[in-house]
Amino acid sequence: MPACSKRRAFLFRVILFTLIGLFSLSGAIAQASDPEPNCAIQEGACTLSAGNRTVTLNILPKPVRAMQELTFRVEVSGEAPSSPPIIDLDMPDMEMGPNQVRLQQVNATVFEGTGVIVRCPSGKRLWSATVILSQTTKAKFLFRVRY
Amino acid sequence: MSAIESIYLVFLGTGFTVGFGHCIGMCGPIVLTLSLQLKHRPSFFPHLFYNLGRTATYALLGAAAGWMGSFTRLASGLGGLQKWIMAIAGLVIALLGLGMIGWLPVGRIFSDSPSLSGLLGSAIRRLQRSKSALFFLPVGMALGLIPCGPVYTALLAAARRGMEADSALRGAASGSAIMAAFGLGTIPALLILSRVTSAGWLKHRAWIYRLGGLAMLATGIYFMVKGIRY
Repeated sequence: MPACSKRRAFLFRVILFTLIGLFSLSGAIAQASDPEPNCAIQEGACTLSAGNRTVTLNILPKPVRAMQELTFRVEVSGEAPSSPPIIDLDMPDMEMGPNQVRLQQVNATVFEGTGVIVRCPSGKRLWSATVILSQTTKAKFLFRVRY
Repeated sequence: MSAIESIYLVFLGTGFTVGFGHCIGMCGPIVLTLSLQLKHRPSFFPHLFYNLGRTATYALLGAAAGWMGSFTRLASGLGGLQKWIMAIAGLVIALLGLGMIGWLPVGRIFSDSPSLSGLLGSAIRRLQRSKSALFFLPVGMALGLIPCGPVYTALLAAARRGMEADSALRGAASGSAIMAAFGLGTIPALLILSRVTSAGWLKHRAWIYRLGGLAMLATGIYFMVKGIRY
């Protein structure tokens, strides 16, 4: 093999291994660049404040897994919302399409509904559930799901 | 406009926006593979048929979700198949990449006398030699089964529509229409990408061609790993 071809073959191997390395690292880099969760949903319910209210979100059954039917339970303390809240499910920095959970009123402060968190083939597990009380009052829970 | 009609527009729009972000990332390597593989041929119709095939699969999945009225039942049935479709697509992309670089020990797939044997080799050769753009319709249909988050989200809406429908047939029709609207929405982004990757000057530069082969090889490995782990 001429020296020039050998050099080219070597260069291509270097590029190849670099690409494979980058792909292998991409998952870890993607996970590392994710924002930190503000809710340990696998452990239990989470509470955040939204305006002058506090919103508690729980998702059942545990562990919270993607691709299975889940019950979303929201408790609102303070002023009662004028209509049942809606939960908007999404991934940070990843367009997943509109996925909303419509809640039904269980009692004056508790609302429930069912929904599914879909699985992202990229391997990312960080999801957000934004509880929308009104156009301006929202609570955004960030948590990790299991696959 | 009724709520039923507006949901189709919502998913047409969702497909359009998802197409320019998510789909270019996920299906981009496949579009690149098709473009490089169509080195000496016009590529618009093959790409169009690939995308129509993908959309047809989405519509069929939407019909099934709408008929069942359950996303989780459909997803649990599909999971195993999707895993292998992704892994096999990765294997084919990696082999095509190896062929383009010239590292495949059994000979270059893209040469005039490919020497790959077996079913896979035969399929690759048919893909390469097929004169009809229609050949890319079943390719798109098969690759439409690759797991994808936004597709799942659209299927959720199709299943919900099926739950609310007064008959399984209406549910299937409505679910199918939602998924068809979503699939059609994703086409412009991938067709634009195919125009870029099919540019003649790009494909006929040997080093770009080889670099494309390397990218395909890495992507193929990525698809295989993700498919096996899925």
